[in-house]
Amino acid sequence: MIEFNSVTYIHPAGVKALDDITVKFGQGELVAIVGANGAGKTTLVKHMNGLLKPTKGTVKVFGYDTTQQTVASLSRRVGVVFQNSDHQLFSDTVEHEVEFGLRNFGFSHEVVKQRVDWALRFFGLNEYATTSPMMLSGGEKKRLCLAAVLAWDPDVLVLDEPTVGQDLLNKEKLEQIIRLLLTQGKTVILVSHDIEFLWPMQPRTIVMSRGKIIADKPASKVFTDDSLLAEARLIKPQLVELAQRLNVGDGEVFDNIYTAKKWILDRFRCA
Amino acid sequence: MYWVANAFIFRRGDSPIHILDPRIKLLISIELFALSLISSTLIHIGISLAAIFTIAALAKILKRVYRTLMFSAGFSVLIFVINFLVGYSIITSFVLAVRFVAIVGSTSLFFLTTSPDELEYVLRWFKVPQDVVFAFVTAVRFVPVLMLDAIQIMDAQKSRGLELEKGNFINRIRKLAPILIPLVVTAVIRSSELAEAMEARAYGAVKKPTSLYTLTLKKRDKLVGIASIMLFTTLLLYFLNLTG
Ligand SMILES: Nc1ncnc2c1ncn2[C@@H]1O[C@H](COP(=O)(O)OP(=O)(O)OP(=O)(O)O)[C@@H](O)[C@H]1O
Ligand SMILES: [Mg+2]
Repeated sequence: MIEFNSVTYIHPAGVKALDDITVKFGQGELVAIVGANGAGKTTLVKHMNGLLKPTKGTVKVFGYDTTQQTVASLSRRVGVVFQNSDHQLFSDTVEHEVEFGLRNFGFSHEVVKQRVDWALRFFGLNEYATTSPMMLSGGEKKRLCLAAVLAWDPDVLVLDEPTVGQDLLNKEKLEQIIRLLLTQGKTVILVSHDIEFLWPMQPRTIVMSRGKIIADKPASKVFTDDSLLAEARLIKPQLVELAQRLNVGDGEVFDNIYTAKKWILDRFRCA
Repeated sequence: MYWVANAFIFRRGDSPIHILDPRIKLLISIELFALSLISSTLIHIGISLAAIFTIAALAKILKRVYRTLMFSAGFSVLIFVINFLVGYSIITSFVLAVRFVAIVGSTSLFFLTTSPDELEYVLRWFKVPQDVVFAFVTAVRFVPVLMLDAIQIMDAQKSRGLELEKGNFINRIRKLAPILIPLVVTAVIRSSELAEAMEARAYGAVKKPTSLYTLTLKKRDKLVGIASIMLFTTLLLYFLNLTG
């Protein structure tokens, strides 16, 4: 549904931020994009709803070439939430903040009401409906930004650094939300440095470095590949480290604490 | 948006102009400014512009100065029309309009080749009070930051379906709210955080802070300075028709 075909992007200032990228994102996929600062992740994301157009190559979203589409029409289907919440919040109330996108896309009054209500409830923000977004805490602002995009029900959700500044509980909530969206057949694309957050979801993992994709494979393959991790300046998730130190063997790893616990208990009983 | 940033914001360089003492750069810029200001014929303004472009070429910022000038040319069209309407001849109106472009060009040369740090040293050298220097230099330094903020904010709001290009005039003005409010909010947040961080690092603890570098004129600075004054005086006399 999103296809990059030999995409190169050179910033007006002359920086080559994407270098011959070819990649496809399919329906219902969970994809993580990782890589060092300045690797080009945000630049890649900005091509997904037409905010940036490739210098060379093509980007197709649901079959349409992004150069032929407006950002608004692409955003209707590809919802992008950027990292900095303060860059988007401007309304007098939380309610109006969520309403903004819906009105831009021309939903009818009833639908707007119903969707605002749903989004606020879903993100546990309904008690703040009539307070100013500026009064919310950092984590709440972040959730509001998510709510404001999910409200119009895009088919693809792209989150740039969604876990920064979030406490543990909110991260867990976010994980639940992502899993729920996946069961609805949505595509979720996560840009994150938060390996521990990504690991339990076992996403398809795209590793970027200096504007290139240097790996595109399951998380379990990426995070056990020492030379790849070094090249991309990534560290292992603790569960991988644990599995390796315990000599689980055969390249087996624990995808979550429960498999780890089970393995340890089994082992313990045998001994 | 990007090209505005490109045309006005300092970027590091190692050209023969960039490496000069900032006071010499200021001197050259003021000389060009003065020449542009007193240019009253096509030949004068031609010489002034040629001088500006020569310096720009030496500083390897020809393209960016050119963009700055194109940007200011918009206003100069207005100047041309107004002067022409109030009765000046076409040539005079034209000279006045181009003069504005040259004045902008001469000023931008200084800002495009002088880093905020150098600016700070120059202002201190002029014995400007520390707080004023700090406020001014910080403001200059934050212009590019604010520009990047503005771009990111526009990207975020466009991703929420905001279409800036659509609608009539009133509607378009209204659509600026989602851009301007976050811009002001982030600027305020950033400045109060900066103030706190500065105080936490003992800003203002002593009256006269010391600095890492001091300005010293090297041989090449003196040479360029003297040469530029000589050239300037010659052109000045010629422009004012005092050469006899
Ligand atoms: N507006 C801009 N003008 C010029 N260069 C830019 C601009 N924005 C980004 N770049 C450059 O493009 C490259 C990729 O930047 P990008 O923001 O995509 O990185 P990223 O992978 O998202 O990094 P991070 O992890 O820090 O968010 C960097 O080298 C950066 O300096
Ligand atoms: Mg980024």
